[in-house]
Amino acid sequence: MSEELTLIDSAKAGSVGAFTELVGRYRGGLLRFLITRCASVADAEDALQDTMINAYRYLASYDPRWRFSTWLYRIAIRNAAKQRRDGFAGIDDVADQGPDPLAMCIDASERENLWVTAKRVLNDDVYTAMWLRYVEDMSINDVAAVLERSGSWTKVNLMRARKALDAELNAPGTQSEAYG
Amino acid sequence: MDKLTRRLRDDASQIRADVSPELDARIRASLEAVEPVNAESPKPAPRTPSMWWWSSLVGATSAIAVIVLLNLGTQPELPVPTENGVPTLAPSLNIERAVLTAPLEAELENLESDLRKAEEALRADIGLDRRAEDTPDGS
Repeated sequence: MSEELTLIDSAKAGSVGAFTELVGRYRGGLLRFLITRCASVADAEDALQDTMINAYRYLASYDPRWRFSTWLYRIAIRNAAKQRRDGFAGIDDVADQGPDPLAMCIDASERENLWVTAKRVLNDDVYTAMWLRYVEDMSINDVAAVLERSGSWTKVNLMRARKALDAELNAPGTQSEAYG
Repeated sequence: MDKLTRRLRDDASQIRADVSPELDARIRASLEAVEPVNAESPKPAPRTPSMWWWSSLVGATSAIAVIVLLNLGTQPELPVPTENGVPTLAPSLNIERAVLTAPLEAELENLESDLRKAEEALRADIGLDRRAEDTPDGS
């Protein structure tokens, strides 16, 4: 943590090297997350680039009381939303959007990837809450901060999302033996 | 860790997301071209306790002034005794004039009285001086 703060201070002073080292540990996770949120892999890469630029530019506004990853994901979510808005603005037909990047980035498997299922049954915010909680291992408070929601909203919706996914996995016709 | 959590993590790790060297170079080049924004913007000076007192005082005074003005405009019409002794309602315009001018007339009378007294005192002073000049020994 202190190492992270040292890197933040150096980056604030204008060191690109320190910033690159700082965000290096989050970059892969961020791109994976953005792929699930954007319309294409190229959009996800653009959103990652914008996230890095915005984070570097406005690093002075980072509040060290929060985890750095919380702040970074908050920026990433805004950039993903912006990418989607810009993407939809230039597309007249929904069918022109191309294949789901999430499906493209998953190897063929006997069963459906749970995040594809989650994308189908959960709304955006709840999906993001699930990702941050169970993939990024964020606390409820951090998830709430990223989503700008209350802690109780986050807790309740995470519980509902788990129930929804459970129901989906145990529904007749699904490959329940693959679950677990 | 329960089954669902484990599967959520496992399935997330199956999503391929590698930052290619091209993307890495692109990001680095973008960062080199960007200047960090300094957030050290000047903060407004903290307000002193006396300022709060003054603002409270001004607020309270304004509220009282508004209340007084509103009440002046909605005063009930007072019955005025007439020659035959039966009180009648006078037009609101006359009532307002009576209410508003009475203290002013009193003030005017007081001022005139003060002016008269000052004039008399001045005359008396001048008269004493003249009498003093008239007598050669000053007695």
